[in-house]
Amino acid sequence: MTSSTLGRPARPDLTFRQKVSRFDYRFSPFLYVAPFFILFAAIGVFPIVYTMNVSLYDWHLLKGQGDFVGLQNYVAVLSDPFFWNAFGNTVSIFLLSAIPQLVIATGIAALLDQAIRGKTFWRMSILLPYIVAPVAVTVIFLQIFSQFHGPIAGLLELFGLDPIRWTFDVLPSHIAIATMVNWRWTGYNALILLAAMQAVPRDVYESAALDGANKLRRFWSITIPMIRPTLIFVVITATIGGLQIFTEPKLFDSRTNGGGSRQFQTIVLYLYELAFPRRDFGQASATAWILFLIIVLVGLISFAVTRAIRTADVKPPRSSAASVGAQQGES
Amino acid sequence: MTATLTSPKSPKSTKSPSVEDRRIVDAERRARRRRAYERPGVLTYALLAAFFLGSAFPLWWSFVISSRQSSDTNLVPPAVLPGANFLTNAAKVFDTVPFLQGLLNSIIISGAITVSVVFFSTLAGYSFAKLRFRGRNGLMLAVIATMAIPTQLGIIPLFMLMAEWHWVGTLQAVIVPGMVTAFGVFFMRQYLVDVIPDELIEAARMDGASMWGTFRHVAIPAARPAMAVLALFTFMAAWTDYLWPLLVLSPRNPSVQTALAALSAAGGQNPDNAMVLAGAVLSVIPLLILFIVAGRQLVAGIMQGAVKG
Amino acid sequence: MISSRNRIAASIAGVAALALITTGCSSGGGGGDDEKITLSITTFGTMGVDANYEKYMEENPDITIEATNLEGGGAARDDAYAKIAAGTGLSDIVAIEEGWLGTIFEVSDSFVDLRDYGIEDVKDDWLEWKFDQGTGPDGKVIGAGLDIGPQGLCYRGDLFEAAGLPSERSEVAAYFGGEDATWDRFFEVGKEYVDKSGKAFWHSPRFFWNSFVNQQEEGYYKKDGETLNIEDNAVLKEHHAKIVEAEMAGLGAGLPGWEVGPEAKAGDFAVYMCPSWMLGIVQGYYDEGTTDSGWDFADVLPGGAANWGGAFLGVSESSEHKEEAAKLALWLAAPEQQAAAFEEAGPFPSTTEGQELVAETTNPFFNDAPVGEIFAARAEGVIAQVKGPEDSNIQDNVFGPTFDRVSQGEITDAETAWKEAMKLVDQLVG
Repeated sequence: MTSSTLGRPARPDLTFRQKVSRFDYRFSPFLYVAPFFILFAAIGVFPIVYTMNVSLYDWHLLKGQGDFVGLQNYVAVLSDPFFWNAFGNTVSIFLLSAIPQLVIATGIAALLDQAIRGKTFWRMSILLPYIVAPVAVTVIFLQIFSQFHGPIAGLLELFGLDPIRWTFDVLPSHIAIATMVNWRWTGYNALILLAAMQAVPRDVYESAALDGANKLRRFWSITIPMIRPTLIFVVITATIGGLQIFTEPKLFDSRTNGGGSRQFQTIVLYLYELAFPRRDFGQASATAWILFLIIVLVGLISFAVTRAIRTADVKPPRSSAASVGAQQGES
Repeated sequence: MTATLTSPKSPKSTKSPSVEDRRIVDAERRARRRRAYERPGVLTYALLAAFFLGSAFPLWWSFVISSRQSSDTNLVPPAVLPGANFLTNAAKVFDTVPFLQGLLNSIIISGAITVSVVFFSTLAGYSFAKLRFRGRNGLMLAVIATMAIPTQLGIIPLFMLMAEWHWVGTLQAVIVPGMVTAFGVFFMRQYLVDVIPDELIEAARMDGASMWGTFRHVAIPAARPAMAVLALFTFMAAWTDYLWPLLVLSPRNPSVQTALAALSAAGGQNPDNAMVLAGAVLSVIPLLILFIVAGRQLVAGIMQGAVKG
Repeated sequence: MISSRNRIAASIAGVAALALITTGCSSGGGGGDDEKITLSITTFGTMGVDANYEKYMEENPDITIEATNLEGGGAARDDAYAKIAAGTGLSDIVAIEEGWLGTIFEVSDSFVDLRDYGIEDVKDDWLEWKFDQGTGPDGKVIGAGLDIGPQGLCYRGDLFEAAGLPSERSEVAAYFGGEDATWDRFFEVGKEYVDKSGKAFWHSPRFFWNSFVNQQEEGYYKKDGETLNIEDNAVLKEHHAKIVEAEMAGLGAGLPGWEVGPEAKAGDFAVYMCPSWMLGIVQGYYDEGTTDSGWDFADVLPGGAANWGGAFLGVSESSEHKEEAAKLALWLAAPEQQAAAFEEAGPFPSTTEGQELVAETTNPFFNDAPVGEIFAARAEGVIAQVKGPEDSNIQDNVFGPTFDRVSQGEITDAETAWKEAMKLVDQLVG
């Protein structure tokens, strides 16, 4: 076959080349995917699996491996009020960030999902905060939320209000941290939602409009149900991200690990404190696995809840909703 | 929303309208349609502008303060015009922490990770998309499955590994763990599966091109747009990472983020806010340049679903 | 469109490739410059050592000092732990705080034995207890003592005067009881101040508690450095109750332990517990060169002399230039350099000669108080307390947060406060 296409007569040395070619054809694919799998096994899979191993031992940061203790580290973490404190803080910060973020992002996406002038400018403009790293975000917002020096303090003073102890009190600290998360991620999520909205066939809106549905009603009855798969996606990513929040609370009061009384210590910060300042690798590893399970669980719950919300909603044309989902999956 | 539509009592109730009526209704519909999708009102622009101001203000304000003096942070209304002290404050940044070292290190780290991720992802993604080999589907499934796992959860063994290899304190301790991502492979595969026609690969093979040759001369050119997008996001992720560099780099050989964090703490009791914010501004500039050059691609990438953890 | 994307891809790839090349170069270039040696040193807080570095580099042109200072002992401690565990990444010279010295001793093979580098020849320079603190259970000396933390009382002369209390520093000392000052008298004066001024006396009970603990012969740990000495410790418990009650009686301003600059300026409290290194921190609340803040410094400490804090310099085993690093560490810890650091930032010398050198030093911020003389007096009779592995952890994470909760009104009686603290002890170190 080869020779005929090449239009050259077969020669004896071609058999060797053929062999090489066949070898090349058969094994190259393995060779091409191998680097990824080898590296990923070493730096991705091994550490996570080995975390399980570490979590079953007394394991000290400085002194190394100790006795096998079975599930004791898990028991210790789960019965540690600090863990539950961190858990509560994480959930609180997550809710304070995820909910406003989703609402605002959906609103912005809806605004952008019109024939606006300067499309590219607006899209880029809302993405600007995304390029600011969490460390810089925290550094900047620390100044803004400074109890005494920042613009917010100035504003409060102007109205004769007491300064707010942003880094000392529970709720203010959670709000400040959630604000940092929101600032960085709202525009980004708006773009994802915008992409989904643009995939909604225009004629669905048109016929609804003909039926007399006003803008708001169309938004609720068509847009929201039709972008449901994307909403689920955004909720799940926000959840996974929110449960792993570290940089903002760590640097919000860098002298501590989440506040003098742990008032804004998150789970990953708790893990960090266990692993390094408190030097307990065993319990820190157990925490990592617990966190992993929580992430999976919360992911499933977000999924279920978002589904439920939609099912309780007005019935949209089922087929087109499905096609949006398919498009999302493809792109 | 501009709820200006005075909705006529549901048209369905109007039984058998006259021709005249129908014409009116049609005209109304057309007008309504245009109003609904084509001409957003002033309110839309006002809201978008407000959101933009909210997005841009913290960054702009940081720059303003960093070019003035610390005591200007509490002005009400906030200072909005830059002063003349940016260079002075920036100079203090470099004196207080090894910031230049951090910038250089981060360029090296992010650059190396980007090259590696893009290369290995393209190679593997191309294989999964276009080459036939035993176990392909199973392996692809493995890639997809691992994509959902937050690799940060493995930091403890990974730290032990770096310690074992005596890499802690060196740049490779940050680079090597970032060298491949499951997402990258998935992303490149999804892109290439549609972009390269199978016939093209067959044809190259017929022409006697080696597998590698086909990859270089057929796959790479076709993959370029996706490679660019993947490169952008990989670079950004590496640039903005904090936890891992904090663990494996030392304060005297930092990344830009750990240097900035140290700078922020360095003020201590009476922080020099203008200097700290100058550091924040400096740390953002490289990505800001990237944003100006390639912001469209970032937007397009996100809207195509390019990104995920 | 496509072509612009290509350009981006190409330029990113270009930058990245360049980066890869540079990595290759830089990792190979470590030992390149001949004879010139770079020594790295990591310190924390305000140690006042910068001028000393300059001087050393001038005197030793073949040495370059690469110094990193971390704010707050916590960051320095966590970083040191991680790098000790890793076996690499430590600076050649590492400043170690008294509070986490106990942990370092558990893994003392990460640091060189300074006896191998002649520390014993100058052993007599140091106060005996300071030298002993830097010596591990096996006799290995891993830390060259830098400063010590004898404590006096920082107070606001202007506010004392306004409240009708004595304001001149020797009168203030006498008013608190002079050499026989007790904590009971201290609380009494506090109440008097509160009654007369209508303002709080201290910012937070945290520091006064630390002072008290440091006064005890055995602190959070028994002398063996391993057995906890908290739960059945009647002395600690009794004093804890007194502090909590005083706090609730209005002595406390309900503030966090650190970073209270604005309240200090506003005069919201009138005293501050001042180990030597704290002077720099109080001063840091104000603009540079301030002399009219009202702060003064008195030669008195309720309950008798005690040390709080102080640093050591260790040389890491992973250093490539142990000889040179040890030389620099010992030089920095020598009397003359200790004195220079004191003049610069306030950490009090741990060598007798160093203390003599600063005997005349006054501090303009503290109303020209003769700080050198006062600290020398305050250092007399100080005993070294044995620190355990979790000492700094207990200080930061057990008693600190509990006092905060009292300050915020969450806990309203001494018994509960103690119980809560004991719960934390169990969780954190039990």
